[in-house]
Amino acid sequence: MGTICSLLYAKQELFASVYLSLQKELGLSVPALSLADLVKTHLNSFRLFQHTADVPAPFVENKEKVVARTMQIVELASETWLVTGRHPIPIVTAAAFLSWQSLQPAARLACTLARFCKLAGVDLPPPAHLRLKELLEILLRMASQLAWLRVFNMDKKTVVKHIGDLLQHRIFLLKNAFCPEDEEEQRAAALGEASPGSPGAAGGAAQGEGCLSGGKRRPLLPPCLINPRKRLRTAAPSASDSAVTGEEPISDSEIEQYLRGPEEIRAFRKAQAWL
Amino acid sequence: MLVLCITEAQQRLRRDDLSTSPQLFTPMSPYDVDLPIQTTEDVLFGSQFNQPKELPTDFSSVDLSFLPDITQDNKEQNLFEDGHEMQKELDGSTSNEDSSILTDESSLAYPDASQATEASGVCPPLTPMAPMTPVTPASESSGIVPQLQNIVSTVNLACKLDLKNIALRARNAEYNPKRFAAVIMRIREPRTTALIFSSGKMVCTGAKSEEQSRLAARKYARVVQKLGFPAKFLDFKIQNMVGSCDVRFPIRLEGLVLTHQQFSSYEPELFPGLIYRMVKPRIVLLIFVSGKVVLTGAKERSEIYEAFESIYPILKGFKKAS
Repeated sequence: MGTICSLLYAKQELFASVYLSLQKELGLSVPALSLADLVKTHLNSFRLFQHTADVPAPFVENKEKVVARTMQIVELASETWLVTGRHPIPIVTAAAFLSWQSLQPAARLACTLARFCKLAGVDLPPPAHLRLKELLEILLRMASQLAWLRVFNMDKKTVVKHIGDLLQHRIFLLKNAFCPEDEEEQRAAALGEASPGSPGAAGGAAQGEGCLSGGKRRPLLPPCLINPRKRLRTAAPSASDSAVTGEEPISDSEIEQYLRGPEEIRAFRKAQAWL
Repeated sequence: MLVLCITEAQQRLRRDDLSTSPQLFTPMSPYDVDLPIQTTEDVLFGSQFNQPKELPTDFSSVDLSFLPDITQDNKEQNLFEDGHEMQKELDGSTSNEDSSILTDESSLAYPDASQATEASGVCPPLTPMAPMTPVTPASESSGIVPQLQNIVSTVNLACKLDLKNIALRARNAEYNPKRFAAVIMRIREPRTTALIFSSGKMVCTGAKSEEQSRLAARKYARVVQKLGFPAKFLDFKIQNMVGSCDVRFPIRLEGLVLTHQQFSSYEPELFPGLIYRMVKPRIVLLIFVSGKVVLTGAKERSEIYEAFESIYPILKGFKKAS
């Protein structure tokens, strides 16, 4: 959609509302977004697959390899709730960056995301940095479950070297690195229902262990649920609220508090005249 | 909780122009009032009393064989007795046709509150009297009740208004004719905002319940009256109700848009939520990956509850998919 808008010099919000209302009025059924197609078309615009003057030799890469690995990383992102509800392009950009880096880590680890996009001749969308951070966090957790990597202290630079292995075993690693999404809820419910005292504590501890075995584990949830932003929850309507009938008598004093007295009106008129 | 039910029931009855009966509070066996699923009973009563016109015709087709006999527990007997006492109060103000259904429904309306969503032996499927959505056999009610967040209503004050005059003499009014051709007035209790037009028509927004919206609109009308205009209170009507709730699990929106293509619109580039246009009842739902759901477009509270009960099993189907 961004491409179309830039070609038409159209405002994105205007285009979006026209598109949505057309879809509704004409009853169009538009095929859902296909991430695979998006990856292919977006990577077509990257200028890293041929030797050119401004691209250093170690940065040039085989297109098929990059596309294949990017596809796998985007699938991984999709499975770990990083894609739902987000703009897809920044995810593809971040995934392309990681896959390109991992194919020749020695030469490319020093390159930043911003520089990568500049070299590739592609815009760097603002959310791409956050998506990159989220992807790296997922990969680090997976790396903690890989036997031959546990000895190393992985960080977000070193994990890139092993992306190939991590992708190869991703199904197994995902299962081990994250607990099922509702286990945390069950744990909370169990703790809530358990009677206070030792039985409850023991039950809670047992449940907690199930989630924490083999190192730190967290439930596989979308980031908005992992880091909930503190929101003022409006309290559920109290009994006094429910007792409102809509037909209560309204006192004069209550209404008069909203009316201006004559002196106030005069003062207000004067002030208005000045403005 | 019983207090809530009774007062809710009373409001519904009053609105339907039936005679009110004095409130009778029968303390129930101790319930955990803090549980979030406290007002399931509220929903039952709400859905019943909001459709009194439809009740007489549909009894024959409603299969009530699922309702169990209340005999076993002492607790259940207490519930039954209490239900009956309340039943006697309600009988005085509703037609006799309803009473048999009410007995059954009210005795079953107080399942053990601590059993949240899973079916206990006594928990009935939450079906309205005239099922407009397909009834899944042995389906449990979700136990989650959407909270109303905003009510929009309109009323006709039936007299021409001098907006400049109103803005001058009222403290809580703002008027910017270049920006918008109406006075924006606010009151503190209930916390609402009103748009007052020179034709005498008024829009009231921000209330959290139908009754609060009506009370607020009346207060605005009184303010206009006190400013010297012959304001009346004609054709008060709720135009839109917005509710929200949380299903407590993440939802695969990409999957949902595939299986419910005719109703769903999910464009992550435009909006992070999925827009689900339900046909019956005609409600628009915004469904987010976090499991939060916003329901809008209702003219009646029951439409919101019904829409949520329809969408909940669909959403549960996407809980485990990965």
